[in-house]
Amino acid sequence: MRVAALVMALLAGPAAADGFPAPVGGAFALVDQHGRARSERDPQGRMQLVFFGYASCQQICSVALPAMAEAAALAAEAGVALVPVLITVDPDRDSPAALAAALEPLHPDFLGLTGTEAALASARAAFGVAREVLFSDVTGPIYAHGSFLYLLDPDGRVLSILPPILAPARIVAIAQARAPGG
Amino acid sequence: MAGRHRHAVRAGLALALALVQPATAGAEGRHVTVTGEAIDTWCYFSGVMGGPDAVVGSAHHTCALWCAAGGIPVGLLADDGTVYMVLKLPGADDAAGGRGFLAVASHRLTASGMLHERDGIRYIIISEVIEDHGITRRNHEDFGVVPPFAIPEAGGE
Repeated sequence: MRVAALVMALLAGPAAADGFPAPVGGAFALVDQHGRARSERDPQGRMQLVFFGYASCQQICSVALPAMAEAAALAAEAGVALVPVLITVDPDRDSPAALAAALEPLHPDFLGLTGTEAALASARAAFGVAREVLFSDVTGPIYAHGSFLYLLDPDGRVLSILPPILAPARIVAIAQARAPGG
Repeated sequence: MAGRHRHAVRAGLALALALVQPATAGAEGRHVTVTGEAIDTWCYFSGVMGGPDAVVGSAHHTCALWCAAGGIPVGLLADDGTVYMVLKLPGADDAAGGRGFLAVASHRLTASGMLHERDGIRYIIISEVIEDHGITRRNHEDFGVVPPFAIPEAGGE
């Protein structure tokens, strides 16, 4: 049904002028690694780079998360406030402590969000992200999950969808171009 | 993407990406029909597994399955060289990943859907696969399996 809704929305015309021209993204209610409630809005008014993955992932996350951290650092140098955000697809293993241990060495502002299974499923649905267990090894389940990066404005609106193959400098260039007043 | 790939993948991050063009507004979509191969965009653009002729077709099919299974975005490589990032396949419950991509990895497709351009990247939301031509690029005869470790050896680690 989401496919049909998406296609119909696109046929109906463009979305808001600055937002991604498809109804991707939406509200979520999660908790960060510090125990603070976190929605799609950034309380500090920063742009956000959101990725769905998990801390122990040795596949695309091991590429995307450092790239997000590097992009945040480069953005800061360019005068753009950009906070990297991981929304876990593995809440059983991604405790707040596990998220902090995995993310904060990459960037001190890196946020790891978790929540109830229902809240996380709602977030994935809003962004159209698939998640499924491929198989399990000695570390636990290995997940397949969508790997696009979502560039959000401070209010949580999706500005762009970025393939994880983009270099951090290119992510920053896009963020700069999409920044409020940019 | 197999676990063994990750170090090479990290190295590939610094590489320039051919699909990125100067930003364009592109707020409106349009309906298009595209014929091309469903490719593994990571290996195609990063170049870490080989040149562009080697990381497509039957030579790269096993690796493409690994990547699609891992959620790496699938692209549609059109005959003119344009790559369309596939946001959704028809019948898929979710965008950005899922088993539907496994069924078409390395296949030549004729597909129609809505095209959007954003920040120099072309996205397609496929509404119909008009024809699935199967794997038509049989380049394993030239390149073998790319990369060779995409098929683990029996009894290997």
